[in-house]
Amino acid sequence: MRFKIYRYDPDKDSKPHWQDYEVALQASDRMVLDALTRLKAQDDTITYRRSCREGVCGSDAMNINGRNTLACITPLQGLPEPVVLAPLPSFPVIRDLVVDMTLFFKHYHDIRPYLTNGEPPPERERLQSPEERERLNGLYECILCACCTSFCPSYWWNPDKYIGPAGLLQAERFIVDSRDRAGAERLAHLDDVYKLYRCRKIMNCTEVCPKGLNPARAIEHIKMQLLRRSS
Amino acid sequence: MMVFSGQRAFLLQRLSALVLLAYVVAAALRLAFGAPAGLAEWRAWAAQPLAAAILLLLAGAVLLHAWVGVRDVVLDYVQPLPLRAAVLLLVASVLVMLGAWTALILVSHAL
Amino acid sequence: MTIERPTFLNFARLRFPVGSVASIGHRISGVLLFLTLPFAVWALERSLRSERPLDLNGGPLARLAFFVLAWAAAHHLFAGIRHLLSDANIGSSLQASRASAWAALIGAVAVASAVLVLP
Repeated sequence: MRFKIYRYDPDKDSKPHWQDYEVALQASDRMVLDALTRLKAQDDTITYRRSCREGVCGSDAMNINGRNTLACITPLQGLPEPVVLAPLPSFPVIRDLVVDMTLFFKHYHDIRPYLTNGEPPPERERLQSPEERERLNGLYECILCACCTSFCPSYWWNPDKYIGPAGLLQAERFIVDSRDRAGAERLAHLDDVYKLYRCRKIMNCTEVCPKGLNPARAIEHIKMQLLRRSS
Repeated sequence: MMVFSGQRAFLLQRLSALVLLAYVVAAALRLAFGAPAGLAEWRAWAAQPLAAAILLLLAGAVLLHAWVGVRDVVLDYVQPLPLRAAVLLLVASVLVMLGAWTALILVSHAL
Repeated sequence: MTIERPTFLNFARLRFPVGSVASIGHRISGVLLFLTLPFAVWALERSLRSERPLDLNGGPLARLAFFVLAWAAAHHLFAGIRHLLSDANIGSSLQASRASAWAALIGAVAVASAVLVLP
């Protein structure tokens, strides 16, 4: 199978370039990550992140044939060749397919991704009804792979100020958590022309989420809650 | 520094959009079911104070909607602060002038 | 020591979903309409005050300009309605949003073509 891989070694290259590869695959090679393993056996300078190989850690998020997704759950069968592997768009490239996630995680920290509840802790758990728990579905499953945020044009133009779909989805996850008591502060924190309102509902995020989540809808809910709060 | 906060701008854009939508629907219905209007009928209608007021509201909605929209584009693409301030000032001035111009046309025609 | 890192943002190598095409069309059409606002006000003035009203039948260049303007107005309107509906939680699922994006794109070209063909 033929591959075209984005290559950049800061110690050797002045700028990135594409490199073509041809690799013989076995029947057991099902996903792009398997092919990458074979490619690395061919050329051990190819650099990429990977860990769980089952789509739950988010390490191997990359741009495959123009769309962001996880390499370990992208089937090789049916992929148009040459399969183009590139790093996540707009994120600073450290080397080859490895990008700098610092800014991405800074935005995640900004939305305070932890339960805030000043009440004295109960004897055992903070209880939650099944309906309340239901509201976390579609939000808690985010693996912070950054496929969505790095495919968002609004994030491309203002990566330092716009929180991005992943951060906002996680903000919504805590806003709707019945055990959290800081909902009002969370919403107030997001009411900003940059942090939240750069979103134009382009919906690239929902299109590429490898876990099938809908950040666009989560962002819509945040805007609606802000509206209800002010009226 | 921003004239409109995030939510206020968002609301203004949506509300002005709804007003404009109402006008488009009204205009479409008028064109579809009314007899084709000539220039004389148009001038006669626009000379009524109520009609002028309706058109003024339309102009106001267009200008507000355009302001929020163009401001979004500028916020996205123009990063350096002094350049951004200059562009936004220019756009705001143009829109205010267009508003004044439209108001003068309509009011002077109605009087 | 700060290193200048490159970024990958080669549009030719990215596969854009239909929603993003409708969205950039919405932005481009908006800017176009904004740029024609002075002309619109001038046309309003001509229609109400001048002796000789505007002659709207021009040569091929005028017809092209009209086509582009009609497309801009139609696309901005349809994509705008799409946004207003999704604000009201209508069509915010992936399939629905894709379908509405196609509808907006095709509808706008259809309306613009109709304006070109009709007198």
